Amino acid sequence: MSAPGDLRIEDITILFRGRQGPVTALPPTTLHLAPGSFTALIGPSGCGKSSLLNAIAGFLVPASGTIRLDGAPVTGPSARIGLIFQHYALFPWFTALGNVRFALRRFGLPRTEEIARARAALAEVGLGAHERKFPQQLSGGMRQRVAIARTFAGAPQVLLLDEPFAALDAQTRRGMQELMLEVWARHSATVLFVTHDVDEALLLADRVYLMSAGPGRLIADYVLAQPRPRSLTQDGGALLAIREEILARLHPQPSAAPSRSPGIVATCPERSQP
Amino acid sequence: MAVNETLSPALRLLHLSAGLGGPVLAFALVFVLWAVLGAAQLVPEAIFPAPWSVWAAGREMWEGGTLAQDLGVSLGRAATGFAFGASLGIALGLLTGRVAVLRWLLGPLLMLLRPIPAIALVPLAIVWFGIGEGSKHFVIGYTVFLTVWFNTHHGVEYVPETYLRAARALGASRRREFLAVIVPAAAPHILAGLRLGVALAFLSLVAAELSGASSGLGFRLQEARQYLRTDRIFALLILLGGIGALADLIVGRIGRRIVHWQQG
Repeated sequence: MSAPGDLRIEDITILFRGRQGPVTALPPTTLHLAPGSFTALIGPSGCGKSSLLNAIAGFLVPASGTIRLDGAPVTGPSARIGLIFQHYALFPWFTALGNVRFALRRFGLPRTEEIARARAALAEVGLGAHERKFPQQLSGGMRQRVAIARTFAGAPQVLLLDEPFAALDAQTRRGMQELMLEVWARHSATVLFVTHDVDEALLLADRVYLMSAGPGRLIADYVLAQPRPRSLTQDGGALLAIREEILARLHPQPSAAPSRSPGIVATCPERSQP
Repeated sequence: MAVNETLSPALRLLHLSAGLGGPVLAFALVFVLWAVLGAAQLVPEAIFPAPWSVWAAGREMWEGGTLAQDLGVSLGRAATGFAFGASLGIALGLLTGRVAVLRWLLGPLLMLLRPIPAIALVPLAIVWFGIGEGSKHFVIGYTVFLTVWFNTHHGVEYVPETYLRAARALGASRRREFLAVIVPAAAPHILAGLRLGVALAFLSLVAAELSGASSGLGFRLQEARQYLRTDRIFALLILLGGIGALADLIVGRIGRRIVHWQQG
């Protein structure tokens, strides 16, 4: 067996019960995420990205096909597969420290060590001074940093991110992306990152998949070998060419004018997952 | 015109004063109105006694020692009934809110039980428990239980899915998911239920004491009616209102301290 975190999605189909029989949320899809890889998934609303993430997380069972993590089928949620939600999903009754400790509990550490490790995790995301604060006392960016610290503290082999920075303002988002890369570099995890933001995908991922409108299929696949941290203005060339191509595929009309919106967002913004 | 001029700043004060100022002013206004009515002697004392008569009746009961005794007995009953009802309600609500079969079974049952007023239970309570303390505790406990159960059940049933997903993806065991996620997530509802339960405890207390009691505020009300002591009735009603409001205030305060995250 290779390094842990080998995720194989083999020909899975996801159906929802509709009023007139089953509705396809995700047509047969196959995807292999190599251990330690960082994959971004871009696609329009309703293309089944969230369904795919929920299936990998073990929250819903595919109608057919299998999902295997290091050879073992995924049968339900577990600490091996971590999540970062758009709306943080922090527990408001715990402090920042308490939230991180919640993730550490499964290791059965002595109390003092658990606290020490939780503190270290918060310090890693630059929140050492805010450990006693409750989530509602923190800004959106800080909350997401707590969520990142919490998720990595649980040492997942696979990390799923569902538009984690979509609720943040552009400047905060940039900082979060850098932080995300730093933390990810220190903890090895296989990342699947769902986003609407083409630039975000190009800055972070080493592989970008494009999905068509719902029910979505994987229609394109780009391998990005550029070293990180990247910048779209400086690295220019190859990344910009890919960006143009992705935008053209997402908006088939020739009217794609990149200067119109600063974030370059794929069609209408999708609501957060339930 | 003069009345208007004095009233409008008063009303403005009422709006401005947050916290205790507002209620105190409201009470003062009502009291003044009541006193004017009493002094004018438009209504016979036996029907609508003046404030000073009510005060005198209250003092009389206090000095005679019955008031303190009745208060103690009634508070004891309310507290006992509340303790039983609330603990049973929370325990059952936590269970029924999470177990699908029980949820399905108990939904309709609750619909049927909720509209039954406390006073309608008194005959049953007397048949089951006699006219002693048991029947009082039963009536109070039952009404508190039903409300606390319903609120707890509701709170537990609607714990946001995101919290549960986050907990499971962080490797929480069922036990920890329950104790560290479901219970705190439902806590605001549970506390709302407890607060309603306190109010209901006082309502059902009087219902329970109106029939077959030989002490307590409800009994004293009944007795006052027999002797046509309207002044005593008023004094007892005001006392009941005051205690109920105080209890509600205390539970609300404590609740806000416990579910501190609710107010952001």
